[in-house]
Amino acid sequence: MLPENITAVIARNERWTGDAASEPYEAGWAREALFFIRALKQPVGASPTGWIEISPDGMHWLREGTEFRMPSQKDAIAAARLTCFGNWLRVATQFEQGAECTVLVTVHLKA
Amino acid sequence: MKAPADLAATDMAEAMRLAILRADPALSRFDPLPRIISFDDFSRGHCGWSQLVGNYEDDLDTMLPGYAQHSSAMLSTLGHWDAGSHGAMDSSYALKIATRARPGARNVAIKRHTFRKRGPIRFELYFTFKPEASELKLSETDVRSIGFLFDLQCGDRDGDGERVMPHLRFLNAADGKHLQKWQYKRETTRFEAVGAGDKILSHYHLAPEGWLDLPDGEQRLCYNEIATKVNWSYLRFDFDLESMRALGLHCNDRNFDLSGFDSIRIPAMKNLWCMLNFCLFAETDVAKRAFLYVDSICISGDF
Repeated sequence: MLPENITAVIARNERWTGDAASEPYEAGWAREALFFIRALKQPVGASPTGWIEISPDGMHWLREGTEFRMPSQKDAIAAARLTCFGNWLRVATQFEQGAECTVLVTVHLKA
Repeated sequence: MKAPADLAATDMAEAMRLAILRADPALSRFDPLPRIISFDDFSRGHCGWSQLVGNYEDDLDTMLPGYAQHSSAMLSTLGHWDAGSHGAMDSSYALKIATRARPGARNVAIKRHTFRKRGPIRFELYFTFKPEASELKLSETDVRSIGFLFDLQCGDRDGDGERVMPHLRFLNAADGKHLQKWQYKRETTRFEAVGAGDKILSHYHLAPEGWLDLPDGEQRLCYNEIATKVNWSYLRFDFDLESMRALGLHCNDRNFDLSGFDSIRIPAMKNLWCMLNFCLFAETDVAKRAFLYVDSICISGDF
């Protein structure tokens, strides 16, 4: 049997400002996770650092350590790879006042 | 009891079918019609249950807001902060449909097929639901509803020319009141063109308006005593694709009278012939995520 994999869209056409994060996603069955964060519109203001967060319960979050620069142009894509995690994953970032990015966030999981 | 030789061949075939079904640990808890169209055990992946994405043209901003909130279903072991993974019925994994943490938020998972023959189909599943356990409270009125719908359309040579969408939901609570009753829906919203052209239309059939109480449709399900304990419930819905009428609804120990039931009915659309779609959804009543978990689903037909 082929190993499982899935492409999940966890944020689609969401306008992120201020403290922003994707909805929690359960990925405990997977050994690898690859996030893509695409700017669907021209971002406004400075492109902040984004990061991956992990959680023991889907409610309490901390940084996993992987960071990336949020895309600075329309259709630019940022990526983050993980091979060691528990179950819950999400992407988070923090924009300066007035800055924003409309994102498409996908996670690609492999067993 | 008749000897095997006295049984008609069809009786023997049916007896063998039932014997094989009942000896199969995966299928024995279902009562499928003669042909199994799909059997989804979520220890084998998502089994074709994807997110219901709304229609759009040129720009995702044209998507109706009801659909824009949807996100991908996930595979869950029902891990809880206080007790760890609950697990599903006979594997670790269940399909999880999660809403956002906003009152009235909704999420929908869909499986898309077409049918080979217009006849009876049966939709069976084992499910449970809970709100996110973000408070140390019972939270029994936080999930507004869980439910399902079919999206069906006749074949291109059929004369009836209808798209038919039976909808049923278990209205658990509304505005803090624990209502616990089954409802159905006969109305959708007006069709709107999305984008600049007229090729792509959209309507929001899950709009909160228009739900009707199923007669004698009150049912108290097993919710259990804290927000992180769940029990699996059985649900069965029978529908006839020939007459496009519902035949039965069964949940745990209850059979419901569907004589007053009808579906959303709209004129056939130009590119949906023989459509056989199945949707599952969850709605939250409060600013807390609602979770619909599905252990397994068996879709069968008589063809």
